[in-house]
Order: sequence, then structure tokens, then C-alpha cells
Amino acid sequence: MPMKITQEIKDSTVIMTLDGELDASSSVLLDEELSDPEIMKYSKILVDCQNLHYISSAGLGVFISHLQRFEDAQIKLIFFNMQDKVRNVFEILGLDLLMTIVSDYEEARTIANE
Amino acid sequence: MLYKTNAKSLLAISGLISWLLLLAYVLLNAESLLSGNGVPKFAFPFFSNLLIVVFIVSVFLFQRIQTETLKGIDFIGYLWNLFSKAGVAAYLSVALYLGYRVYTNYIGKESVLLMHLVYQINFGLLVLFLAKAFYIWRQLLLYHKNKFLQIAWDWFEILLAATLLLTVFNFNYTSYIFLPLLALMGFYILFLCTNMKWVAYLTFNNKSRSLVLLGAILLSCYIFFRFFKNTADSPELAIDYSDVGFLLIAMLFVTLYTLAAFLVSLFSLPTSGVFEQKSEDLLNFQRLSQSIQQGQSETQVYNMLFESTIKAADASAAWFELTRAGGEPQAAHLLNINQDQISRIRHLLLAYNILNIDYINNNLNRNPGFRELMLPWKSMAILPIKTTKHLSGVLYLLKDIEGGFDRETVNVLRTFTSQTTLTIENLRLVNESLQNERYKEELKIATQVQESLIPKTFPTDSWFEISTHAVAAKEVGGDFYDFLQLSESRIAIIIGDVSGKGISAAFHMAQMKGIFHGLMQQDMAPSEFMKQANSALSRCLERTSFITSALYIIDYRMKGFMFARAGHCHTLYYNSMMDDVFYFQTDGLGLGIIRDKSYANHVREMYYDYNPEDVMVIYTDGIVEARNANNDEYGEDRLLYMLKQTYHLEAEDIKWAIINDLQDFTGPGNLYDDQTLLVIKFKPST
Repeated sequence: MPMKITQEIKDSTVIMTLDGELDASSSVLLDEELSDPEIMKYSKILVDCQNLHYISSAGLGVFISHLQRFEDAQIKLIFFNMQDKVRNVFEILGLDLLMTIVSDYEEARTIANE
Repeated sequence: MLYKTNAKSLLAISGLISWLLLLAYVLLNAESLLSGNGVPKFAFPFFSNLLIVVFIVSVFLFQRIQTETLKGIDFIGYLWNLFSKAGVAAYLSVALYLGYRVYTNYIGKESVLLMHLVYQINFGLLVLFLAKAFYIWRQLLLYHKNKFLQIAWDWFEILLAATLLLTVFNFNYTSYIFLPLLALMGFYILFLCTNMKWVAYLTFNNKSRSLVLLGAILLSCYIFFRFFKNTADSPELAIDYSDVGFLLIAMLFVTLYTLAAFLVSLFSLPTSGVFEQKSEDLLNFQRLSQSIQQGQSETQVYNMLFESTIKAADASAAWFELTRAGGEPQAAHLLNINQDQISRIRHLLLAYNILNIDYINNNLNRNPGFRELMLPWKSMAILPIKTTKHLSGVLYLLKDIEGGFDRETVNVLRTFTSQTTLTIENLRLVNESLQNERYKEELKIATQVQESLIPKTFPTDSWFEISTHAVAAKEVGGDFYDFLQLSESRIAIIIGDVSGKGISAAFHMAQMKGIFHGLMQQDMAPSEFMKQANSALSRCLERTSFITSALYIIDYRMKGFMFARAGHCHTLYYNSMMDDVFYFQTDGLGLGIIRDKSYANHVREMYYDYNPEDVMVIYTDGIVEARNANNDEYGEDRLLYMLKQTYHLEAEDIKWAIINDLQDFTGPGNLYDDQTLLVIKFKPST
């Protein structure tokens, strides 16, 4: 199943929707999206994980590699609507304590605007 | 072979004996004729006819075996063989006859005996000539034969042999009964004479030489014909060989075929150049396409292309440009042209924007640009050697006449260039596949090296059992486990998984093993190990890579173990005291995710007292994330369930139960991630 990544921009927020499986090949696409200098113009990145069925270590590696950069630029990276299976992968690796993972869009907005 | 040699000598002997007997018979008869009364004493026509047939059959069969050894397509060789070994017989017979005449003139009276001797020798020479010619023509006639022609020829030989019967039974072949049959034979021979494919394969020079030889052979035929026609029906003769129908028909065939070959050679002489060129093109084409098997280099292929196309187009000047990656093309292989002319032509082509494309100009003078260059040539063809994406070179051909590159020539040239493209492309593919083969070999070595990094045997001790399972999805993997005996009662066991797969994962895995052995020499707590390992890995892991790991230090004297988890899968545990199976839920961040001191806040250490019969299952995510055809994951729950069913077994059996269940779940050939599983069972201390 190929990965589909869509971006929606609202004011200073980028809402990124991940659709499909984030494996070794599709994580290259994600890396391209996140490496885009344009994205540094926004202060919040909300990642909609509702249709993200699977994340491989390569996919996790992409988020990890950009984590420090976003933190330094004071860009908030928030995941929401994450499936339990995927959330479990984040938790086992200990990423739930490093990244903000919330249940739904409303909560993500609230935290982003704090 | 032995049979053939025997047959040949037998035939030679029977031929010789029958000829000598015939000679004796003839001389005796001549003697009796001479002695008057006109009635020969020895008149046994059946006897003499039988001898004739035996002689003819012997000589023909002998030549039949003899010519079968002739092979190959050296047609001039065949003709020369025919002329030198048989054609000269005619000239010999003429010499003999003339000698006889001179002699009779000299002594002033006819010698019947001598005349018969000469006649008899000439008969022998005639049969030799006919037999040789007959079978050499057979070899040539059947060149490139088909089944029909073979059958037609076989019938011709049978029919011809049948005419010998007429001689045996002393029939007169000129009688009205046989004449129509003979006429039919004549037509049959005419039909056979239309098969001369071999003439087409003669080059111009060979054709001229063959005309001379064929002419000489024709003359031989004429001489024999004349001789036997003049002597025919002479009343002095004891036997008139012109009565032998077989000889007449064989003579007819040999003469007609020689005549036909002579005429065909003569009339195809002007067109032989075209055929020669075509067959040379074909040969060059073949050489080009076979150059891969012969292990030739690209340069040799280009040399071949250059030479072949110049010949095919009859070009007066040419050059070939080799395209080099990111540089000016290099003009190689210049023919009758200098660098200055080349660069002027190139400039012009660049100006017209027709560089490196397929271009034919059959009238350069009509174009003002070319006219200005004052070139001595009037037509030009540019032929690029390229695949859809890659240009390897460009061939330029020039001719000093207008319209030098007609459609036919251009087609041949394009065939050459496309074959070259194919050959070059194949050469590259062959090289690439050799390279790949080497990579595969090296990967095999990598696999062996990595296998040697993973311990095959754990220390066996009375207080615990351990059983391991590890498979890599590719040649090399990112999973690893290892152990280190820290002291007599303490052992450190580590498991880990490097993100990603393949070579880079394998390198980090080896690195992790080094870090484990390096740090644990100092005997430190698991959490301390994780902090230091994180710091060490931070300096060498690429940004997107990380490692998950778990370290256990088991102390059997204290009956407990200490462990820390760095993002690795939760440890599955069976507690025999509580009879419960569960996962240790501890926090811990993977290595290489946070690359500074703050990592210390993200790793926890836990101490646990074990009971005899407790079971610990350590594994990598390849186990729980293994999927079946429906894309469902094996999952932690099923793993836990499996341990619930099997904890009472020995460690080895628990491991196999889990692995078998996993394989049942995924189905065969469904391995996408490295899988590692360690089962440790504590035993009551003795």
C-alpha cells in the first residue's frame, strides 16, 4: 500500500495527513516533506495519524532525525488520532515521552495554541 | 573407415582385373579377325559385356567413395581436383592416339593390335574421367540440397545404373523401344543441371578461375566424344564402346552440367560484386554480434564497426567520435580526413543543431554552409550509436559522389549501428553482472562474518537453561544478542535491534557488540551501560538511525536479575510462584534518539528476584510484528498466550513451540524482518 502524504495549511499551522504504511520506501517521501525549508515558516505541525496503519523503524527514524531541529526552531510537533497499534510502537521505543501524542484534533489544537 | 579402405582396394583390384581381362579378350579377338575369314574365334558377347559392366561399376563405386571425402566450400578446389585428376585423361588419350598415328605412318602399315590397345586404354581413361566428373558434380549439385533434390538425384543414379542392364543383356539402346526412355533421361538431366547454387558463392576472382577450369573440362568432354564417335561402327573393332548406353548418358550429364556451370558462371560474373559485398556485410554483422562471446572490449567493437561500415558504404573518408562522460567527444579512427576538417564540420553541424542525430545529406554542395567549407566530399551520413538514454559515440561517413548514401546502403549502415549499440549495451550488462556477482560473493562473506559475531553456545550451567533462535531477512541483519560472564555467579545478556536492515544495520550491530564488550569489562549497572552506549553511539550513528536494546545482568547467587530497557520490546516473563505470565512494563528510550546528557532521564533500571522454574522470553520486533497473508501482526498477546501454554517445558521446547506457532501464523517464505528469540529458564539450584 503506497503512502499518501497531504498537507493543509491554516494560519501558522501545518496539518499533515499520513495515509497508508510508513515503511522504508515511503519514509523517504516523509523525509522530503519534513526537510522542505518552507515548513520552518510555520510554528505548529499537527500530524494526523488516523489512517497510518504501520510505522517501521525507518519511519520512526525520520521523525527522530527532525525532532531536535523542530525543537530548536520552537516548532511544535503534535501527533493526533493515532491508532493503538502504532502508538504502541512509539511507546515501546520511549518516544511517547519525547513527542506530543494526543487523542484528537481538538486536543491537538488546544495544546498547539498554549 | 576400415571398411571403406577395404572396399576401395577391392574395387580397384576388380576394376584392374576386369580391364585386363577385357584387354586380353579384345586382343585375342582382334588376332582372330586378323587371321582372316571374318568370324572371330572367341565371340562371347555376354562375357565381354559382363566384364564391361564390372569395370564400369568398379570405377564408379571407387570414385563414389573417393569423392565423399571432399568436403567444405572450396569449389575451386573441387574443379581443380576434377580437372587435374580426370580432365587430363582426355589430353592423355589424344596424345596416345596421335602417337599411334605417327607410329603407323612411320612404319607404313596399320597395326590392329596396337590400335586395339590404344582404344582399350582410351576406354579406361574415359570411364575414369566420367566417374570422377560424375561424382564431383554430384557433390556440387547437392550443395544446399533439400529433401526433394536428394531423392531426385538418388533416382537418377538408380536409373543410370539400370541402363547397365541393357549392356548386360546386349540390347541395342538405339532401338525404338528405348529411345523415348532415353529422351526422358535427357530431360531429367536437364532438370538436374538447374541446381548450381554453389556458383553464387564464388567471388569474382574465383569465377574467372572456374571459367578457365570449366572450359578445360568441356574440352576434355569434347575430345572423348570426338574420339569415340569417330571410331564408332568401325568394322575392325572387337567391341564398340559407343554401344554402351550408360556411357552415353553419363557423358551427356557430365557435359551438360559442365556447360551449364560454365554459362551460369559467365553470366553471373558481372553481378558477383554485389553478392560478395552482401555476404561480407553478413559476415561482419555476425562478427559484431559474436564479439561478446569472444570477450572483446568496447574499443574492438568500435574498430569492427568502423571497418565494416566503411566497406559497406564504400566511404571515401570517415571518422568516429567516442562520447566521454562530461567532456568533449574524442575523434578516433580517422580515415582520409584531418582534425581541422573535422572541427570545421562539427562547428557547422553545431550551428545547424544537428549534432549527434541521425542525418543523411546526399548533396552537400546544395547547402551553402557546406559549400563554404570547400570539402572534397559530396555526401555525408551521420550515425549515432545510442540507446534511448545513453549516447556512446557518433559515426561520420563521407563520400566523394552525390547521392552516395542510397536507401539500401543506409539501411545496412543502420543495421550495423543498431547491432553495435546492442553489443555495447550487452558488454556493459555483462560487466555489470560480473560486478554484481562479486558483490554477492562479498555479501556471502559478510554473512559469515556476522554469523561469527553471534554466539552459538551459551555457557551451560546448572542454574539456568537458554535457547536461542536468530534469522536475518536479508544476507546480513541488524538483530543481535550476546553474553559476557562477568564473574563466577553473574552473567550479562544483551539483545538489540538496529533500525533499518542490510549492510548499514550490520555495521552498527558489530559496533554495538564492540561497545557491549568494551563497556561491560568495567562491570557496570545496566542503566549506566545504556547511558554510556547512547553517548558512544551518538557520535557514530547517522541521524535517522537508532538502536533498541535491553541488558540483563543475572546473579544466580542473589537469585535475581537487574535490567534496563532502551526502547526494546518488553520482556515476557513467567513467574512460577504466582503462576502468572506478563510483560515487564518499564520506560526506556531507544539509543541514539536523544544525543546528549539528557538521555540519562529516559532510562530506568529494575531489579527482580526470580524463582526456580521462572521463564524469561527476550525477542526483537521481528517476532511480534511478523505478519500473515491478511496483514495481521503476530502480536504480544499471542506470544503471551504461547508462553502460558508452554512454560512447563524446557527452554529449547518453549522456543520451538513459539517458532513453530509463528511460522504457522506467517506461512512459508514470509520473512520481512530479522527475527531473534531467546528463552531463558531458571532452574532450582542444586
